[in-house]
Amino acid sequence: MTGTTPETPPALTRRRLLGLAGAVGLGALTAACAGPGGSKSQASAPATGSAEGKVSFAHWRAEDKAAFDTLIAKFTAATPGVTVTQDITPSNDYQSQALNRLKGGSVGDAFPTFRGAQFEQFVKAGVYTDLSGSDLLASYEPALLAAGKQGGKQWGLPYQVVFPMPVANTDALDKAGVSGLPKDWDGFLSLCDKIKSAGLIPLAWPGGEVGNAGQLFNSMVMNNQPADDTCAQIEQGKAKVTDDWFLTTLKQYKQLTPYFQDNSTGTAVEPTQQLFATGKAAMLATGSYHIAAVRALGATFGMDLVAPITTEAGKARYQGTYNATFILGVNSASKVQPAATAWLKFLSDKANAATYADTTVQHLTVADVDYTNKDLKQLAPWLTKKTLLAPRFQFLNLDIRNAVEGACISVVGGAAPEAAAQKAQQVIDERI
Amino acid sequence: MARRRSPSAPARSIYLFPLPALAVFAFFFAMPTVQAFQYAVTDWDGFSVDFNSVGLANFTRVVGGDSLFANAAVNNAKFLLVVVVVQTAMSLLLALGLLRNSGRSVALRALFFFPAILSSVSVAFVWKFVYDPTYGIGNSVLGAGSRLLNAFGADVAPLQLSFLGDDRTAIYWVAMAQCWAHIGQMMVVYVAGLQAIPGEIYEAADVDGASPLRKFAYITWPLVAPATAIVVAYTTIQSFKAFDLILGLSGTPPKGSLDTLSTRIYTTFANSQYGYAAAESILFMALIGVVTIVQRGALRIIPQSDR
Repeated sequence: MTGTTPETPPALTRRRLLGLAGAVGLGALTAACAGPGGSKSQASAPATGSAEGKVSFAHWRAEDKAAFDTLIAKFTAATPGVTVTQDITPSNDYQSQALNRLKGGSVGDAFPTFRGAQFEQFVKAGVYTDLSGSDLLASYEPALLAAGKQGGKQWGLPYQVVFPMPVANTDALDKAGVSGLPKDWDGFLSLCDKIKSAGLIPLAWPGGEVGNAGQLFNSMVMNNQPADDTCAQIEQGKAKVTDDWFLTTLKQYKQLTPYFQDNSTGTAVEPTQQLFATGKAAMLATGSYHIAAVRALGATFGMDLVAPITTEAGKARYQGTYNATFILGVNSASKVQPAATAWLKFLSDKANAATYADTTVQHLTVADVDYTNKDLKQLAPWLTKKTLLAPRFQFLNLDIRNAVEGACISVVGGAAPEAAAQKAQQVIDERI
Repeated sequence: MARRRSPSAPARSIYLFPLPALAVFAFFFAMPTVQAFQYAVTDWDGFSVDFNSVGLANFTRVVGGDSLFANAAVNNAKFLLVVVVVQTAMSLLLALGLLRNSGRSVALRALFFFPAILSSVSVAFVWKFVYDPTYGIGNSVLGAGSRLLNAFGADVAPLQLSFLGDDRTAIYWVAMAQCWAHIGQMMVVYVAGLQAIPGEIYEAADVDGASPLRKFAYITWPLVAPATAIVVAYTTIQSFKAFDLILGLSGTPPKGSLDTLSTRIYTTFANSQYGYAAAESILFMALIGVVTIVQRGALRIIPQSDR
């Protein structure tokens, strides 16, 4: 038997491995103690100079890839030395991960954000460069640029104008004997009754998906809320969802329940699009941003927007809601800012904007765009109607937004309005 | 005096071999874990340079002042309970039925195992279509069942469910999807465990006139306990990891009725509350630790008491 001698070299013992692991752990501990935070980006205007290099255009609209490919081909042909690649992330992931992905500047030289919480975060994190005074702004409708402003500076260019309120099948409305848009709550319920009597589902509503279900919230509260910024006030603790106006809204949601498809709180958005596209439902309670998808499903009927007016006739302040979103900007960490700016300038050109708008069936904030798509033409009058900037995006805390919109879904699912409101208010109180 | 190296000793370069694994471990596990503790006592939003130290306020808020976290914990408990019980029972039942190595049994085992090779996202999409109240196969089957009963004279109203839209039952429907995806996998563990039980014991029991139920209670169940321990432990881990299945079924963020601890933490991160999310994560880790210890203790007792 051979014993251990003083000459025995170090062997791979458990103790040594533990020591090695400990050393690595200590190194990790030291590295980890660097603390949160980081270097702050200086928010300044994008760099000027000759446009060259590879531009990464990060966004979430996979459905627009082909339209952007067409525009990129045209842009790169006109701008030698610049290439543009799309970095597309699903919208849910873009909302939760884009900030961390983009702030390093390795992707997203040019990028959009959603209006509301994400835009605010990007501004706060210094990812946007300051576009105040840029000649890009001249291409846009001045009134629609507000969603890209904060602290008196223009950080982004809201590009798309969408109408987050019910889209109606005008052929079905005609067949149901509906004439004219409802002017009060009784009128809207009467419209739903007529549609239901004609054997159709009045409203296809994706109550199973918080994000899409919440679009109806915009038009349900636009005239009920005491002030245009009540949603912001709720988050600040200045207003409560247990207040009368919101209880009224919840009761109105309850009144709508028989007009939604059966078991609507379990329905995702795709089946509601199918119900609408096949003519089984007369209205799709999401918004104009789904028109292209509905057309792709084979819908050939005429479409228009119908907002529920929740007040008495004459007391309604707004006819509908709109949202200015897809807020384009140039990344402050980008190494090709002149090229990224050139790409935004290209998108801001009214002819290129028209190509994008017609292909994707979305109105834009770019001024004087000549829309040729028949749906865009049909909905164009809504650009000048009295509409409110979608209130749900005033919520910057997503837990609060989900609690408030969740209360609406709960009521449709059978909860009492008072109980649903109290439950939502508890979540809000815990977060303010 | 320098020690001499033995000719049979391994070369010192052998110490380099664990380094890649240790580096990965340190970078992806040790560092984030240490950082989680550091972030948990701050109000850091995940991107700002500045942050404040808040002491244990995040922890006290998670434990006593966050109804969303409490709701997620309750949902997780319901999910865990249903998945562990149903998945364990069903996989054992299937294993008992398909124990023989006949061609039909092997084919059926492969069929039941098939969902296990699907990604959780694919499983979510499959079940999203099943649970859709309008077009889904779930309500189609229920409707057909009602019609069949009515054809036989029963006066039954057509049964149509909201599935994921019913706040009271939504988490159980998700648990069913989780069970469907993993029962086949656990069945294989049980088949291996059951096949390891000596046939002589059953023969002796037959000689003694034992009924099938008694044979199961006194032979099969005690001797398959090691496999049960693996199945229960693995199922528990799966239950806590059910993240993409829930997001796939409900969308991001999930409704309150489908929110579990992992999706709650993710939502908190997405809500730019890194400090608070870190505190939630640490408590989540602690909870998993407690459940694991309790479970290990419980499973250690079963075979000992049955011996």
